[in-house]
Amino acid sequence: MLWMHALYSQAQPTPIGYVKTVTGDAWVSNAEERVKAQRGTAILLGSQLQTGPGASMGISFKDNTLMSFGPDTQLTVDEYLYAPAQNELKLSTRLIRGTLNYISGVIEKLSPESVTVKTPSGIIGVRGTQFVVKVEDEQ
Amino acid sequence: MKFSGKTIFLAATLTLLAILAGCAAKGTSSYVVLLRDPAGKVGSVAVRSAQGEQVLTEEMKGAALDGKREPFLATQEQLKRDFGAAMAALPAAPIILRPLYFRGGVKVLSPVLKQQAKDIAARFLRLAESGRSVDISVVGHSDSIGTPEAKEKAGRERAQNVADALVELGVPREAIWVEAHGDRQMVVPAKSGGEPENRRVVVTIR
Repeated sequence: MLWMHALYSQAQPTPIGYVKTVTGDAWVSNAEERVKAQRGTAILLGSQLQTGPGASMGISFKDNTLMSFGPDTQLTVDEYLYAPAQNELKLSTRLIRGTLNYISGVIEKLSPESVTVKTPSGIIGVRGTQFVVKVEDEQ
Repeated sequence: MKFSGKTIFLAATLTLLAILAGCAAKGTSSYVVLLRDPAGKVGSVAVRSAQGEQVLTEEMKGAALDGKREPFLATQEQLKRDFGAAMAALPAAPIILRPLYFRGGVKVLSPVLKQQAKDIAARFLRLAESGRSVDISVVGHSDSIGTPEAKEKAGRERAQNVADALVELGVPREAIWVEAHGDRQMVVPAKSGGEPENRRVVVTIR
């Protein structure tokens, strides 16, 4: 059962999602540490996700929201609330640079307007269900 | 005369178009494009900037993030060039399994539900062994009967019982999320006697 240990050993504090695909060099940084992303790396509230040149990464959140990133991308998960019975639903992220492909999950389905992607120039309000966004570095 | 009035007008128009196109190209450096999702649905996105709000509701429509130009129609070439890598990295779609239905007031698994749990565990283990990183949500939904607290509690107990069964069958507990959504996601409308269709646990493998 070693493989299971390897997949889930980073599971504290409570993850909100996991890395599912990685090509090239990508990282997940939390307040405590910066780890090289691999399949099964935990995403926490506040995690900063980063891909290097030529790299890409795909993640899933526990509400089925999917995100994938192209090269030279940086995104931070600022808020993640997923308690439908309490009507606490929110997903806000910040795309600092790079490319993001997004597919809605249950949070957006139950509470449209509770999902936002902030960028340096504008805020995207998400009412479903798939979009792509690119943030070019300011010259 | 070498140039007719018509030719001059045409040249002027082309120049103007070229200038406009140049402006447009600049404005597209940071942008969002609405797509049709894998299930065939087109939703919408709103872009709020210092310029106000632009709402996209049509497939392939794009908007500059700074709001400094009118929404435009994106091309497949553009998507491939800018988002090919991101799209190729998209994880497999979550697998939403057939619900486990419970009789009113019952929270433990019947023999039929135990068999269903066995099939789910086997599927999970097959995927995990193939090298995929898999995690699993076990979500209890309730019917419309009772207080919000009672509904959440009943759903959570059922979901917990399903999760415990999965753990016994070899699914690592760390890979399972147990949730209760109360009656927030009813599949049939409320009825006075309760609704068996809503009293369910839904397992999703990602």
